[in-house]
Amino acid sequence: MSTTITDRVVDTARWLASDPVSRARTGQTPHAVIFRDQKACVRYFAPATALFPPVFCVVPLINTWTVFDLMPGRSVVEALTAAGVPVYLLDWGRAGPEDADLPMSHYVDRVLGRCINRAIRHAGIDAIDVLGYCVGGTFLALHLARNPSPVRRAFFLATPIDFSRSGRLSIWARPETFPLDTIIDGFGNFPQALMLDSFRWLRPTGSTQKLKTLVDRGGDPAFRELWAALEAWNGDGVDFPGATYREYIRGCYFDNALIRGGWVMDGRRVDLRDAKIPAVALAAGGDHIVPEAAAHALAEVWGGPVTVATISGGHVGVCAGAKLPAAIVDWLGA
Amino acid sequence: MATANPDLGKLGDELYSHWERAMGGWWDQVLENPSFLDAMGKNLGGAAQARGKYEQGVDQSMERMHLPTRNDVIRVAKIAAMLEERMLQQEDVVLGLKDQLTRLEKEAVHARIEAAEARLELRETLAAIRGELGRGASSMALATAGTRRRKGNG
Repeated sequence: MSTTITDRVVDTARWLASDPVSRARTGQTPHAVIFRDQKACVRYFAPATALFPPVFCVVPLINTWTVFDLMPGRSVVEALTAAGVPVYLLDWGRAGPEDADLPMSHYVDRVLGRCINRAIRHAGIDAIDVLGYCVGGTFLALHLARNPSPVRRAFFLATPIDFSRSGRLSIWARPETFPLDTIIDGFGNFPQALMLDSFRWLRPTGSTQKLKTLVDRGGDPAFRELWAALEAWNGDGVDFPGATYREYIRGCYFDNALIRGGWVMDGRRVDLRDAKIPAVALAAGGDHIVPEAAAHALAEVWGGPVTVATISGGHVGVCAGAKLPAAIVDWLGA
Repeated sequence: MATANPDLGKLGDELYSHWERAMGGWWDQVLENPSFLDAMGKNLGGAAQARGKYEQGVDQSMERMHLPTRNDVIRVAKIAAMLEERMLQQEDVVLGLKDQLTRLEKEAVHARIEAAEARLELRETLAAIRGELGRGASSMALATAGTRRRKGNG
């Protein structure tokens, strides 16, 4: 039945007034927590029958892990386990004021190293394949370059490597206009609300576009459900621990040290050329947060062989589609 | 011919895309303008400093009332985290030792199997030597008895 635009707007407004975002439930795929490292934990999603080697996934420190498990039918971990992939997922937990002094090496070396080792021990294997998403991928790349980890291959999804090509974020995060130290000295951690605002302002008309799409496709209940799940996940951010944020912005944005080199973390040099395992750099074609060029730059600096590829979707939308799990399964099966 | 219900949806889409292009272009100029970014940076820095000062003030008031401050709670949380980290380090050591023990056990079992196999091999060799010795001794005894018989007859 065709409806007029007025009907659709009214219907959407009524639906939004019923507060669907607070009712949205993310992270519903059954799993077990196999290890806890203070606030972080490793979540294990078991397939009915394991047909592929296990994969260890790392999501960004600033997001909740449910980006990989948005809702039934739109979940990376659900699709992977259905295909027979045992999935280990690192949940960083929520940083509080007591974590403001934790250096980047705490996350890159200690937490990542320990969690990968526990996943390997749990799986009863000698080495594992790893997957990093967004900043989680950047942390993973740093870890692999600095530590002799029992890792076979790495898959980097929408992972920024060349921060000078990170679009508008690279213009905003310049030392002459971004008072990094004043912000961290005042706030302690970088507040997730500010992070969310900065992502919104990357595309100022994005919020209107989002509402327009909701009006246009509001007749599809599955789309509405996904929309609410994405909003719920998006609004549930995590503060970036202060000291780590300072190092991250300096190293990645101010100095672009992953490309230029010369980053010394916790007294040790970091150089992605030291990582020798094979890697995949997968970018999302419509990503305005991590443009293709920023993600594909891995091939310029990674020590091992790199395969670059692009799939359709936006930075977060790529996690809600069917193409990403298929690409991961193909990679695991290769 | 004019329709009774004009396609407002299509018109809306066109209007929206015009608006988005116009606004997008304007925002691009603003959001990448160095003066704007400088002002925003100062604003953000000011807000952070104000927040820091506010928290400091609250802490001082709590301290004057002999109540636990935010810093006290943070200190306790840090101690808890430190203790948990130490426990995890101990767990790492125990797991490392367990791995070493498993490796040693495997090596010991392997060595014992190799020793048992060597002993079995030795036993078989010994039995073969004994057999040959036995056969040699009996043929020697037969030969001696034959010689004696020949000497007796002679």
